[in-house]
Amino acid sequence: MTTFLAILATGLGTYFSRGSFILVLANRRIPPNIMLALQYVAPAVLGALITTMLVGPTGDTEIGLAELTALATAGVVAWRFRNAIYTLLAGMAMFWLAGALQ
Amino acid sequence: MDDKNSDRALLATAVRDALPLFVPAIPFALVLGLAIVGSGINPWLAWTTSPIVYGGAAQLTLISLLGEGASVAAAVMAALVVNARHLMYSAALAPTFQQQPRWFQWFGPYLLIDQTFALGVLRGDDDPRTFRLYYITAGLTFWALWQLTTLLALFLGPLVPASWGLDFAVPILFLGLLVMMIDQWPKAAVALLAAAVTWLCADLPNRSGLLVGALCGVAAGITLEKLRE
Repeated sequence: MTTFLAILATGLGTYFSRGSFILVLANRRIPPNIMLALQYVAPAVLGALITTMLVGPTGDTEIGLAELTALATAGVVAWRFRNAIYTLLAGMAMFWLAGALQ
Repeated sequence: MDDKNSDRALLATAVRDALPLFVPAIPFALVLGLAIVGSGINPWLAWTTSPIVYGGAAQLTLISLLGEGASVAAAVMAALVVNARHLMYSAALAPTFQQQPRWFQWFGPYLLIDQTFALGVLRGDDDPRTFRLYYITAGLTFWALWQLTTLLALFLGPLVPASWGLDFAVPILFLGLLVMMIDQWPKAAVALLAAAVTWLCADLPNRSGLLVGALCGVAAGITLEKLRE
């Protein structure tokens, strides 16, 4: 039930962020300061999110050499090719390869 | 008769424009399937994020954080802010939507994802009816494909043995997404700082260090921007 409420809240929030300017703020512009902050929201949240996935609740981490090489590979491929499918394939291939070699 | 033919041509164009743009969403759907299986949440319940939230990154964030034991508040907030760009999309399309009937102003935002935005802004100068038909057709094409592929991923997920470690695809995909959005160095600095602060705050209850890290990142971004001026 709690999970469903969380899904519902995320759904409503997502809908209203998409509808915000279309539904109510049509003649407003986003203030330049907010616009500035907005472009940093996604990189900040993603940086925090990835860390949360890699680090346990006590700050410990199970990240070994295989994970690190895989993440580095994914980063380079994403930078070079700007393509999510290549990134995923290269990262996972490196993860398995490095894991098998250990 | 002519109208009917030109409508049909318009719908075909919308579908034809939509299909190739859906391809980048496929890995998201597959990884979402894996994340759902790994999260321990009832898969059908987790799948309802597809029609209810309808946004890959937000769905993936919500599901993985709930699976990690984050509090509902932290998970929902993270899922909402990860898609902050929707505000910009909404602002950019608002002038076009002003000439639309009220029902479409309510329905249109539900279909507003990266792809519908990309196609929609290109069509902003169409007459209102043409824009509406095009937007709804392309939007519903993406919507139906997303519902189907995420449903399919739900069945594919459990087939993969846990020993393959496919859970790791989630951080890999998010890292790729992060790297692809970095077009200037302050964004990289912001992401790194947010990551470092999140790590330092890892022992805060309910994984709320995530929010502290993200907030510090945004604050640093604004500061950097002010310093550069």
